[in-house]
Amino acid sequence: MIITMKSFINTSIICVHIVMVGFMVVSPCSSVEAASKSDWISVPPAATAPLGELVTDNPALFDVISGSAHTGTSSSNGGLTTKVAPGESLPIAVKLSNFGGGQKVDVLITYSIFSNTGNKIYSTSDTVAVETTADFIKIAQIPTDASPGTYTAQTSIVYPGQVTPATSQFSFTVERKILGIFQSDVVFYGGLTILVCLVSVSVGHIFVKRRRAVRLTPFDYSSIPHDQRTFYEILSDTIMEMRQRVGDDALLIATKIDGLSVDEKTGRVLLITEHPSKVIATLVAKYEELLGKKVSFSFRRQGKPI
Amino acid sequence: MKKQKTILVVEDEKNLCEAIVDILHLKKYLTLEAKNGQEGVDVALAKHPDLILLDLIMPVMDGMTALRKIRADTWGARVPVVILTNLSATDERLVEDMIMHKPMHYLIKSDWKLHDVVKKIEEILITKIVT
Repeated sequence: MIITMKSFINTSIICVHIVMVGFMVVSPCSSVEAASKSDWISVPPAATAPLGELVTDNPALFDVISGSAHTGTSSSNGGLTTKVAPGESLPIAVKLSNFGGGQKVDVLITYSIFSNTGNKIYSTSDTVAVETTADFIKIAQIPTDASPGTYTAQTSIVYPGQVTPATSQFSFTVERKILGIFQSDVVFYGGLTILVCLVSVSVGHIFVKRRRAVRLTPFDYSSIPHDQRTFYEILSDTIMEMRQRVGDDALLIATKIDGLSVDEKTGRVLLITEHPSKVIATLVAKYEELLGKKVSFSFRRQGKPI
Repeated sequence: MKKQKTILVVEDEKNLCEAIVDILHLKKYLTLEAKNGQEGVDVALAKHPDLILLDLIMPVMDGMTALRKIRADTWGARVPVVILTNLSATDERLVEDMIMHKPMHYLIKSDWKLHDVVKKIEEILITKIVT
């Protein structure tokens, strides 16, 4: 009587077929193409035996798992896709496990790379002697003329006494590089940089505009007596205009004028204690000294038609 | 139809006066010209322009004296005046006169392009229409 049981081990990576005739066949089931039911081994009649008479001399039974060296062999790629440029090397991480007998076996490993149309663009073979497990990285060279697209790296093994094929594969993409950076990264990071720049420029522009608007908004001196108001206004507007032209130095100069009291932060004229015309003339002279240019100024309207 | 505005240019520098007048004509303004302060006062009080562009340092009569005379007139008290000069406002008396007679702008010639001066004139005249 033959009892065949299929169960999954290692979260869908390895599929175990137990044939109750004394040996176990393990084949990979994740990225490895799982053997269909029709591929399950047919046990020769000679190999059958009554329960309890298990064969003790187990033949080698290898499993192969391969993946990109960037993502490893332990699980799926976790959503990551390996990218290589034409002419670059693709490191393939390979793990061989012998679930059968403990003797050293020469395993012929064939590495192939297929395009998404099924064309083989690369193939090479190595032989390694393995007793129980072996982990190594094989460097596959992507041809320089490989066109951009999705490719499949396939690793298959052949060893003496093999009863079931063992193959593992994973996908990767071939993409051209611009100045050492993948095209898609150039587009992504370039776009991101442009976006960040645009946002920064916009925010900066808004900030400057707001700051300028605040600076350009004339102060209201309606609380100042009418006969004095024009002096306050002309001083205030001159300071504001000079602040636009030379920055906060204009404020600094204004604060040092005798007879003039100015808010050091806003430039608002707080008090004129000396003759206003003299204060204005002194301020204009100081600004002309600073700028090396003569200073123009404007008068405010009195809120009625001229 | 909108009435064409008239601007009196009181300027003793012939070349500058012509340049200003040319630009104002391009902007479809009518112009009046005066070569000194006295002429400026006469033309202003006789023709009642919509705006006066006034130099300060001029022969016969300086601009500030001319402005004082114009302001003494009922019409002249309200006419917009733009001073266009090379005289720096660092003299206390000049500042006092200026504040008393209230020009719209005190513009330094070397600091202003003629097109910007005309812009200022346009701003004043537009605001005058609105108000």
